[in-house]
Amino acid sequence: MSSRNLLTVTRITLNTANKGVAMPLPEFFQFHVPTRVVYGPGLASDIATECESLGATKYFIVSDKTIENAGLIEPVTEGLISAGIEIGGTFLDVPQDSAVAVVTEVAERAQASGAEGLIAVGGGSVIDTAKGANIIFTEGGDLVEDYSGAGTLTRPLRPLIVIPTTAGTGSECTLAAVIYDEKSKTKLSFSDRHLLPAIAVLDPEMTRTLPPGLTASTGMDALTHAIEAAVGIDASPLSDLLACGAIELICKNVVTAVEDGTNMEARGAMLIASTMAGIAFSHSMVSCVHAMAHTVGARFRVPHGVANAILLPHGMEYNFDVAKGKFAAMAPFMGVETTGLSVDEAARLTIRAVQDLTGRLHALGALPGGLRDVGVPAESLPEIAALSLEDGSSFYNPREMVAEELLIHLKRAY
Amino acid sequence: MGLFKDSETFEKVLGGFFGLVGETPDVAERLLASKLIIRFTYTDPDVVLVVDCSGDQIRVIPGDTEREAEVNMWMSSDIAHKFWFGKVNLTAALTRGQMKAKGPIPKILKLLPAIKPAYAMYPRYLEEYGFGEYNIY
Repeated sequence: MSSRNLLTVTRITLNTANKGVAMPLPEFFQFHVPTRVVYGPGLASDIATECESLGATKYFIVSDKTIENAGLIEPVTEGLISAGIEIGGTFLDVPQDSAVAVVTEVAERAQASGAEGLIAVGGGSVIDTAKGANIIFTEGGDLVEDYSGAGTLTRPLRPLIVIPTTAGTGSECTLAAVIYDEKSKTKLSFSDRHLLPAIAVLDPEMTRTLPPGLTASTGMDALTHAIEAAVGIDASPLSDLLACGAIELICKNVVTAVEDGTNMEARGAMLIASTMAGIAFSHSMVSCVHAMAHTVGARFRVPHGVANAILLPHGMEYNFDVAKGKFAAMAPFMGVETTGLSVDEAARLTIRAVQDLTGRLHALGALPGGLRDVGVPAESLPEIAALSLEDGSSFYNPREMVAEELLIHLKRAY
Repeated sequence: MGLFKDSETFEKVLGGFFGLVGETPDVAERLLASKLIIRFTYTDPDVVLVVDCSGDQIRVIPGDTEREAEVNMWMSSDIAHKFWFGKVNLTAALTRGQMKAKGPIPKILKLLPAIKPAYAMYPRYLEEYGFGEYNIY
């Protein structure tokens, strides 16, 4: 991977444009990644040492039917049992959107099993379910009443090991979980450093069976995390560095991973990139693209990664004036040559590179083209623009989100 | 030892300021639109203030620990005081554990632009209402 970092590149790029200024440092930032990240093809079936290192020898496994049917649970459990780690029980019915009732059930069953820790095998919903369940599993109480919010936990939770089976959410290294509350019909956010998993096991073999469409959409989700983490108001030099590393890995590998899912080099690179982007946005958050994607997802059930893929270049256009320096700095990580270009020109090429990447994935049949292709009615665009302002991500956007202006870009994304 | 000598003083200072903010049309309108009931629990000195935006006008209720609040926030009195000077970044304070928040965080964050004008009001309020000794930031 390139040793260039965003700040350095930013200075070079801006100086090239004779602006002579570097990006200001943030007034405050914190960087905290207690999650131990281990990587290796086939590693998921050989994690007994990691399990023991956490002081627990009996674990409860959380996953979903798709993962079970893909045969991804068995190697994990067999590997653990053969090494003397006890499996207290399993919950393999996590739905697509994690919800309070399921989280509570997982916690109760884990408690009843006598397990000392949790192992989550799956994508974002499974991981968020396990994070939420670990709160109740450790502390008891009511998930919504006692723990929704920020900083509500006072001590470390029980060991949680996460084995991601998609390369997109980055949830294996984030301090947040989003869980749907059936009672209030809202998505609740939980944000706390104690939610960070103890260990993230990155095994590209666990993503081998991911279909091309999901590989593309989750990969573009990770790219969106990285780009928004770099331009958000809470970005820091450390989150920038990880964001740019993720951008480079994704741009170099996502098409290969879609074209040839058995290519473990590309799969591995995407998994690592997803984790890097996850760490980046766990610190500096996401912004207007996610605000729009959350709205489109909630209103019209558009899969999150697909919505992000469609909306990413348009959100970048929306933020162009305030974020062009950062966009220009990203260009080399996308393989774009910027020598002799102004900041504006380099930033434009960065957005073009994102469009080209999306276009290639669309040409492969792995991504839809626009919002019209995913069941979003044209007449709903003003409502989407207005509702996007209500989303929590809107707060972190580097410029104020204005519905009338967002609508212009939503129409272009249509 | 906190900046404020006792609970009574801090309750007067912040409760009075919240009352003033509630009577400032531009700010109040946006707070009322949120319909939120927020309980602030301050420590050192200990004070509880409930800000009720669920009705036609903003109500500030001191000492109410019973009313059901959609959002609960905890922080030291000193951090709260500094916040109203515009000197505390809310997300950084949450990250650092200087504040804790229970409830829908996005709704709280959404109120930040609405209360921005109040930052300039706070030092003026302290001077005009006889709390000038606390106008330190």
